[in-house]
Amino acid sequence: MTNTTAAGDQLIETAEAAGNRPPAARNRMSPRRRTALSGKHLLLIVISAISLFPVLLIFSTALKTQADVRTNPFGLFSSFSFENLVNAWTVGGFSDYLLNSVILTVPSTLLVVVLSTMAGYTFARLPFRGRTFAFYLVVLGLLVPFFAYMIPLFFQLRGIGLLDTLPGAILVLTSTGVSFGTFFMRAFFSDLPTELEQAARVDGCSEWQIFVKIMLPLVRSGAGALAVFTFIQNWNNFLVPLLYLPGGGYRPLTTGLYQFMGGRSIDIGPLAAGSLITIIPVVIIFILMQRQVAEGFISGAVKG
Amino acid sequence: MGAALQSTTPRVTRRAQTRLGIALIAPLMLLVAVFFLFPLGNAIYYSFVDFDGLNPTPPFVGLDNYTRMFADAEMWHALGNNVIWIVLGTAIPLVIGLVQALLLWNVRHAGIYYRLAFFLPYVLPQVAIGIVWGWIYNPVNGWVNKTLEALGLGGLATGWLGNPDTAFYAVMATAIWSITGFVLIIFLSALRNVDLEQMDASRLDGVNAGQQLRYIILPQIMPVFLMVTTVTLVGGFQVFDIIFIMTGGGPANATNVMGTYAYTSAFQLSQISYGTTLALLITALSIPCAVALNRLQRRLSLQGTGA
Repeated sequence: MTNTTAAGDQLIETAEAAGNRPPAARNRMSPRRRTALSGKHLLLIVISAISLFPVLLIFSTALKTQADVRTNPFGLFSSFSFENLVNAWTVGGFSDYLLNSVILTVPSTLLVVVLSTMAGYTFARLPFRGRTFAFYLVVLGLLVPFFAYMIPLFFQLRGIGLLDTLPGAILVLTSTGVSFGTFFMRAFFSDLPTELEQAARVDGCSEWQIFVKIMLPLVRSGAGALAVFTFIQNWNNFLVPLLYLPGGGYRPLTTGLYQFMGGRSIDIGPLAAGSLITIIPVVIIFILMQRQVAEGFISGAVKG
Repeated sequence: MGAALQSTTPRVTRRAQTRLGIALIAPLMLLVAVFFLFPLGNAIYYSFVDFDGLNPTPPFVGLDNYTRMFADAEMWHALGNNVIWIVLGTAIPLVIGLVQALLLWNVRHAGIYYRLAFFLPYVLPQVAIGIVWGWIYNPVNGWVNKTLEALGLGGLATGWLGNPDTAFYAVMATAIWSITGFVLIIFLSALRNVDLEQMDASRLDGVNAGQQLRYIILPQIMPVFLMVTTVTLVGGFQVFDIIFIMTGGGPANATNVMGTYAYTSAFQLSQISYGTTLALLITALSIPCAVALNRLQRRLSLQGTGA
């Protein structure tokens, strides 16, 4: 686990570190090698283009004039206007969807981070009878897929009046993230030296003070990575709002977009604009916090 | 109370730790119990009764749901699709991801931009991915058909998602496009552990690139290879979003997998118990893979092989 985290750490930022390159790069370049190198860059650029093409297509179609969408919907950047965005935002209801996405994602992400940090500390640092059993119950969530219990959960939520409510969906989103979160945060707390808490205890700190004042500040980077990862996961989550917010009053961007698409109105312009609104926060977070994102997703691979 | 514990930690401290520990995990345990353990237990109960979503005391039917499931041709068809998805959806990203990682391995300057470009598709919401690929596959003016026409292969053009023969593979190609960046990133971090001295030495001995790959690189990244395989395997059993969004399991069930079949059975046909039984089969199939993955992961961390 710790190793996984370390790998994520190196992943994007320190790949340039010296000594991590294969031997070829260390030699002085011969003309032949230079040709090979530019050939390689050409290949990489082609692959990048394939990788990014669908994203460009969303941008291009969203930013066309409506007339252009009708005649040439998928030609790249053949015109420029905000008509589609304005349309999606007002008539398409995407301003509401965006708001609902924020209302669902922000609290569930905060809850995942807070609950996981508290539990991670306990499972790493505070031994008591029954703790191991509790830990197994939590980690069981890493093995059992959401499919296993999604259908009964629907009727359970309906039974307790949480179906089609924001608190219900927020709590379900939270519960889908805490198993991984606890596992992830526990690894960070396990790595901290025991001398720290012993010294604090000698100085007369209470257990609560040790947790809050000594330990918490030391796992900030871990909690940050967890927050970024969980935010993206919850923002992108499709099945939870699809199942547990069926009424449509609290639709987030993902199911809102799906609904809009199902309308079959061939309204490609606003649909593209809606897609753009949906992906933009993820793209921004991804670019600004790539290290945390990669770290989260690599460790997230343990999730079954 | 263990004697060893007693000798290192004073009783007062231990009691304080227990109190704080229980307080700190209580909210989590409550959440896990209500939103995970309880519905999980209920799922098993549902599979032994005939629940239609309304009747508060559904009749007990024993193994009926299970016998029906194993005699259901559509279940086997959906499961077969899962297997195809797992085989191709594992093999293709592994090969492409490895090639990309090897290409990127000694790129210094622009490396970061390539990595960002390759990884981005993996973090995008599946709905947006499904929509934009739907356009790319558009029968009239989609890029796939336009490219085929430009290459003089216009005869191959088709409505990729509407044609039962191509729909499944078209959706899979989209999924492969999305996951390959993830595979690449894992391979890149594994390549960092490859012994460079050995690479240098082998080069001096006149070993060619193919042999280097086979005898030096692959053995050293083998554990990560296995890990990525397990991840895609688990994902292959549980695939839902992208298929549901792009085709809904159609046309004519051509793209149905266990996940979409369980969903439609339960929520569109109101066969709650049957849908739950199908979902439990996905669970039963993917848990062994997930367990193997966790084992593997633990062994890797112990060996310090990374990733």
